[in-house]
Parts: sequence; C-alpha cells; structure tokens
Amino acid sequence: MSTKPESGAATRAPGPALLVGLGAVVLLTCYIVAFLMSEDESVVAGLIVAAGVAVLGAYVLGLLQQLRAAYRDHERLMHAAILLGILVVAWVFREDHFTLLMLTTAMLYMTACLGLNIQLGYTGVLNFAGASFFGVGCYTAAVLGSETAIPPLLILPIGGVMAALVGSILVIPVLRTRGHYAAVVTIAFAVLFRTFLQVNDALGGPQGLSVPQMSLFGWGFNSNIEVGDFYASFYMNYYLLALLLLIGAFALTRRVERSWVGLSMDATRIDELAASCFGITPSRWKITAFMLGNFMIGVAGALLGMMISFIAPANFTFADSLIFLSIVLLGGMGSVWGIALASVIVVLLPEKLQMIQEYRFLLFSALVILVLLFRPNGLLPRGRRAYFPDWRPR
Amino acid sequence: MTALLDCKQMTRRFGGLVALDGLDLQVHGGDILGLIGPNGSGKTTFFNVLTGIYGYSGGTAAFDGQEITNLSPQAVYRAGIARTFQRSRLCLPLSIFDNVMIGNHKRLDQGLWNNIFARKRLRQEVESGFDEARELVRIFEPRLADQMFEPVANFPMIDRRRIEICRALISHPRLLLLDEPSAGMTHEETRELMDDILQVRERIGGLTIIIIEHEMGVIERVTDHCVVLNFGQKIAEGSYREVSSDRHVQEAYLGAE
Amino acid sequence: MDLSLLSQYVVNGMMLGMMYALVAVGFTLFFGVLDVIKFSHGDVLMVGAFAGYTTYLGLEAAGIHNPVVQVVLLVVASAAFVAALGAVIAKYLVLPLSNAPALNILLATLMLGTVLRESVRLFFPDGSNPKRFPRLLPDTVIPIGNFDLRVDSLMLLITGLLVIIAINTIINRTKLGLAIRAVAQDAETARTMGINFTLIVLVTFALGSSAAAIAGVMNGLYYNEINFGMGLLLGVIGFASAIVGGLGNIYGAILGGFLFATLQTVGAVAMPFASAYKDVFAFAVIIAIMAWRPTGLIPEKTSERV
Repeated sequence: MSTKPESGAATRAPGPALLVGLGAVVLLTCYIVAFLMSEDESVVAGLIVAAGVAVLGAYVLGLLQQLRAAYRDHERLMHAAILLGILVVAWVFREDHFTLLMLTTAMLYMTACLGLNIQLGYTGVLNFAGASFFGVGCYTAAVLGSETAIPPLLILPIGGVMAALVGSILVIPVLRTRGHYAAVVTIAFAVLFRTFLQVNDALGGPQGLSVPQMSLFGWGFNSNIEVGDFYASFYMNYYLLALLLLIGAFALTRRVERSWVGLSMDATRIDELAASCFGITPSRWKITAFMLGNFMIGVAGALLGMMISFIAPANFTFADSLIFLSIVLLGGMGSVWGIALASVIVVLLPEKLQMIQEYRFLLFSALVILVLLFRPNGLLPRGRRAYFPDWRPR
Repeated sequence: MTALLDCKQMTRRFGGLVALDGLDLQVHGGDILGLIGPNGSGKTTFFNVLTGIYGYSGGTAAFDGQEITNLSPQAVYRAGIARTFQRSRLCLPLSIFDNVMIGNHKRLDQGLWNNIFARKRLRQEVESGFDEARELVRIFEPRLADQMFEPVANFPMIDRRRIEICRALISHPRLLLLDEPSAGMTHEETRELMDDILQVRERIGGLTIIIIEHEMGVIERVTDHCVVLNFGQKIAEGSYREVSSDRHVQEAYLGAE
Repeated sequence: MDLSLLSQYVVNGMMLGMMYALVAVGFTLFFGVLDVIKFSHGDVLMVGAFAGYTTYLGLEAAGIHNPVVQVVLLVVASAAFVAALGAVIAKYLVLPLSNAPALNILLATLMLGTVLRESVRLFFPDGSNPKRFPRLLPDTVIPIGNFDLRVDSLMLLITGLLVIIAINTIINRTKLGLAIRAVAQDAETARTMGINFTLIVLVTFALGSSAAAIAGVMNGLYYNEINFGMGLLLGVIGFASAIVGGLGNIYGAILGGFLFATLQTVGAVAMPFASAYKDVFAFAVIIAIMAWRPTGLIPEKTSERV
C-alpha cells in the first residue's frame, strides 16, 4: 500500500533553483526601474532588445526551467519577493506622477483581465464587452460619488455589483448560445452600450462625466502625501489601493482555479456534454463566472474612474474591449502571470515608446495575430493545476 | 426480484428515423448485461436516452424504483448511473487526477464560498480524493498511478480508456454503462481491462454493468445475460450461447439467406 | 407622418438593408465553406471603398472624366483588388488556423480588422480624416406623388440586387458553385472527389470579399463620404445579420440584413426625438432574438456525435 502523501510544510529544501528565482525577481525589478526611468526612446528600444536577448539566453541555458521550479516549489517566497519588488518600484518613483499613474493603470487593467480570465480562460464564456463593464464601474463611481454621500471605499464594490447586475441582462442569451452566436451577444452589447452612453445626456452624453476622488476615512486621495520631509505623489494613494485590489483579485482567482469550482469550470469549457454526465451543471458555472468576472471588472473600473477623474463614452468602445481580450490572449488563456506580463506590455510599452503611441492599436493587433499563429497558448502558458502548492504526494 | 433498471417501451425518434423502437429492457442488481447488435441498431442511442442526453420520444425507465424518464444528465448521474463514451471524452489538457475527480462531482463540496475560503476542508477532500483516485487507477495500470498529475493528452488511447473508466467508477455508481470499452485494444489488453473491472466490482460491491461490445469474446466471458438489438428493437435475449445461436441474431449480423 | 417622409424612410431602409445584406452574404459564405467567421470583413469593405476612391483619383489624373466609365472602372478595380486581398487573407491567416479552436480564428480576424483599419488611418494620405467620395451617379429624382425618389438610390438598389442574384446564381447554378457547396458540406469528401480544396477556399474568400468591396463603393457613392472607421460598425452589423438570419444560409443572410435595417428604421421612426437610440434598439432586439433562437432564425443544421 502506498505511503500517505507528504503534506503540510514539507517543501523542497532551498537550492539553486530558488537562487535563480530570487535573482530573476531582483533583475526584473532593476530592469523595470531602468525601463521606467529612461526618457530617450532609443534607450527604451535598446532595453527591449536586451530583454529579448536575456530571455533567449535564459532559455538556452536552461534557466527558465529553474525559474519554473523555483516558483513551483517555493511559491510563497517568490510571491513575497515579487511583492517586495513592486513596493521597491513604487518607492523609487514615489514623486513621479506620470509613472505612478501608468503603473496603477496597468494594475487595474490586470485586475479587470483577471475577471475576464475567469470567464473566458476558465469557463469558456465569451465576453467581448469587457470595456463596457469596466465603464459601468466608472460611471457608477461618477454618479454615486457626485450625487450621494456613500463612502468612496464602498463605491468600489458597488461598482462591481452594478457591473454584475448589468451583465445579468445578458445571462439568458449568453447561456443559450455557443461559439459564434455567443460572440454576437456580447459584441452587440458592447456597441449598444457605447451608443447608449453617447446619446444619454443624463450620463453626460459624449462629453462624459467627472468622477470625484477616492477618499479613505477623510483622507482625500487627490492630495499629495507630505509628512515632514517625506513627499510622495498623490497617485501613490491610488497605487497602493490598486495593489491591494490586485492582490485580492489574484488570490481570489488562484483559489477559484485551485478548487473543485475551478475544475468544474474547466470541464464546462472543455466538454460540456461529458461534464453534464458527471453532474456538472454548465449553466451554473457560466453564470458564476460571468457574474464574478464582471464584478471584478466593475471594481477595477470604479477605482480607475476615481483616479483619472474624468470619463467619457469614447473610453469604452468595442475596440477597448478588444484590448482587454488581447491581454488575456497574449498572456495565455487561464494564465495569471501571462496576464500580468501582457498587461504591463500593453499599458507601459506605448507610453514609453512615444513614437509608437500612434501605432498602438496596429502593433498590438499584429502581435496578437502572431501569437495566435505561432504561440497560441500565449507568452506564459497556463501551468498545471496545483491544488495546494506545498502538497507533494508521491 | 424487481429489476434495478426497468425500461419499458423506450422510444427515440430523430425526425423520420426511429432509433429506439419500443425497447423493453431489464437489468437485475449485480448482473453484467451485454448489449450487442449490428452498427446502427440503437445501442449507443439507448445509453444516450437513458443518461438524459436525448429526450424520450416514448416509454419510461425506472432505476431502483425511482422514475428516471426524461431526467437531466446531472440527475441521472446523481441517481447512481455513470458511463463511458464510445469516442473517448476526457479533458485532454487536464491531469489524470483532475479527470478522475470530475467523475467524483457529487461527493465533493461544490459551494463557491467553501472552495474559496474553507481551504483546510478543501485540502482534506483533495488529499482523500487523491488517495482514492490513485488506488483506483493503480488497479488498472500501476504506471499511471505514479503520473497522476500528467496531462491526459500525453497518454496513448488505451491508457485514456482506462482513465475514463476510473472517472466513471470513482463516484461508486450503482450502474455502470460501458460503451465499447475495448475499442482499439488488443485481446490481451481487453482481457486485462475486463479483469480489472471485475476486480473493482468485487471491491465496490453491488455494481451492475451494461456493456456495449462488438468483441464477442468479451461478451461471452464476462456477461451473465445478453440483449440483442436491431433497428432499435430487441430481437433476442438470453445467455450469450443462446443468443449467438439464435437465427434472427445471425440474420441481423450476416444478412438473410 | 406623411407618406413622403415614410417613403423616404423606406427607401433609406432598403439601401441600408441591401448593404448589410451584401456584407452578411460574405460572412455566411466564409462560414459555410470553412466554418470560419472572418471578422475583418467589415474593414475589408472599407478597404474596398478606399480602393475605389484611389481609382477615382487615378482616373481623374489620367484624364478620364466620363462618370459612367469612372463608376464602372471604380467598381471593377475595387472588387478585383479586394478579391485579391481576401484571397491573401485566406491563404496566410485563415487556412493556417483552420485547425485551431474557432475562437482563435475569430480573434485573429478581429485583430486583422484592426490592422486594416489602423493601416488605412496611418498610411493612407491624410487617412484619419473622412474623404469626399465623388458624386458619380445622376443627381436626378423621379417624383412619385409628393415623394422624390432619388435615381441614384434606385440604381444602387438594383445593383445590389444584381450582385446578390449573381452570387446566388454562381453558388447554385455553376460548377464552381457546386464545388463550393461540396466543400462547405464535407471538405474531406470533396477533396477525395478531386476538388482542389485550397483553390476553392481562396475563390470563395475572393468572391465574398468582392461583394463587400461593392458594398463599400455603394456606401461611398450614396453617402458621398468614406472614412477609415466605417467598416467596424458595418462589419458588426453584417455579422449580426448573418448570425440572426442563420449562419451558412444565403437567404438567412439577406433576411438578416434587411431585418436589421428594418429595426434601425423602425427605431428611428418610433423615436424621432432620439433617433440616435435606433442603434441601441436594433442591437437590443438582436440580443433578444439570440436569446430566443440561439442558432439564428433559420437554424444551422448541426449534430454532435456523442
């Protein structure tokens, strides 16, 4: 008879893989700092090339394997290191309005795309209206912030709930349709929503609405932080809150995936019929995924609205929904780290390479096409389900 | 003795085509029933109607006294009927463990809240589920038991069939429906597979099996009882020896003189 | 509402319907043959319009000013150019992905649409601004009672109708059409019967794309204006029309196209104070129809082997 599987804290002893892993985090942090600091486009371009060469070199040297092993065997430690890296970057740029704004936007996009991922990557629910639900969050923050005295922190989850509620209008057609037919439903909604915003004067019409700031216990987020000699941009407030949201979204997504719920979702996506024969009710999981995903998208949207303090229908078009989808595809369907990487690329790169600002949509569409043709599983494809990272049965 | 499964006048039409034509079929608890007949005689359709994939155009079915006519596939599964598919339907990107656990759905906590927040309890379910799954897989192929986290796509068809049977067995069903389990296997592998199924049947106790097969050797060796279908109707019933010497059966397979 | 205004609405609606139908027919052709939704179709239409415009500029520069000649050459050049474009897209994007999950092709062609749109915006001279498409059709009207029927509307309607009839004839009455239908039904068997699969696919895409080009030129001639973004909405509407009508069925595509135009017209008529809501109305009805009939009004005949 087999022995009982090791469980609890029985992790592999730290070895060379862990060193590679931690080293990679340090290197990445330095790289990001350098990347964000560089003003000259040729420097930026050079850094991008360097990154490509480094990844290739790491692949050839087998370091990527080590990296994967490091993450697999020491997940908590790696997470802590990455979090530290993110905080270091925040510290370095604490006075830089623009950089903090960019990074926070990337984090909020990441959060929204994690929601989209639960829908598409896990459960196979097509959602071409991601930007619309994002917009619901923004507009909720605008309306509730201006018209009511609801504490702004509470507005965030309300934004999420509103997005889920609006999404529930589409539940029946989403459930009943498959494949291309399902695509029409959310595409039609994406177009419909934008047009609705545009013609609806109560919501500001094409001019849009202003969104009041986030504030916490009387601390207004739109004021710079000045404590004694210490000074930080007011965007730092948003950065930290967005980081908290991201961590929450990340943990939620992980736990969903690493559970029977995640398994049922995958089964629903891969083979509904077989799943039904084993008691799985596809509609239950599709509704769950759709609602939960839209909730996450709405919350992210609400905070972004508060941060940029002004929103208009032009921000929430079908093309913007495609950007969200590109992030999920580029990163890898169902892959949280892939989505993280793709969000960073999609948000940071155009800002840094000002010359490609104009070509942003063109380049990303072309990039996604290339990925679909040659690496359909994404830049960082989803790994195996590890129910509990420190559980190693043998 | 009342039958465990009692199908009366089961009928299924697809437009003008009558796939099942007033089929009466009974299986007693603990039996192994062989379901044979030429291609297109309605065997898989019978499974599909029974498990709720297709609706009934007529007739009824009762399982352990409970009416199961027109129940959803989920409800049929919960009542204790599990199946395999003619064309292997596993989730290829998922691991062996994942695939087997899909079959265990009704014995696992599927609540969203619990899965996200009650992690300790989830862990217990995962660990005990793993033990069970691995033991089950080990019966069929010990090599697989050491690769429970490998994606099923990495394995050959024969191993996939074994995994599919484990998926059907993990929930301790009362009735197991096997649809051509030996397709693509050699005689040796088939014999082994049948032995393993019988072994599991010993352990689970009270497992009733209906098996669709084209390999008559299997039917002869393993089944207690046979039903022969042709054009959606039962044309013979009895032991293998009895039905194989039945003139109508021979005509159905080979054509009339 | 008086009759002349109503007639105006009806004629406009029919024009729209015709254009949508032309686009939807393309979608349905591609789907029928390769089980693929080529989402870039709307933007291909836009390229056709721009190709026509460029041809016009070229003709003017070459000293050819006869409007009849211009129109004919415009249409032909545009259709030919876009047919080639459609074939190239089929060869390099769609065929390589034909074994990938359907979602991938949908997304790849969606992205391709963006590439086409952005390319025109960025690389066509002054691409981001709308262009005045020439008034080449006669300006005259035929008075019918109180109502003035524009001759150019009539001509465009008839042209559109002819194109649809032509496509229908090709599909249903020619050997080529037979090959296309064979491939649509069962590619494997068609191949074993000696049909050149790749060639048929390319031809089908060329055919469907040229229909879109003609719709694009029609659009330009009717509204006298084209811009780089015109394809997106038209593509979505064409796609929705093909779907609502039932994918794979030409009559369904035509039905869907006219249905959508009807919805928009009804919406505009019913809410004259907020005619901008017509699109909201039309798309909402589309969503409702999908909820009611998940595989379109003329359902697809599919079966899954269990």
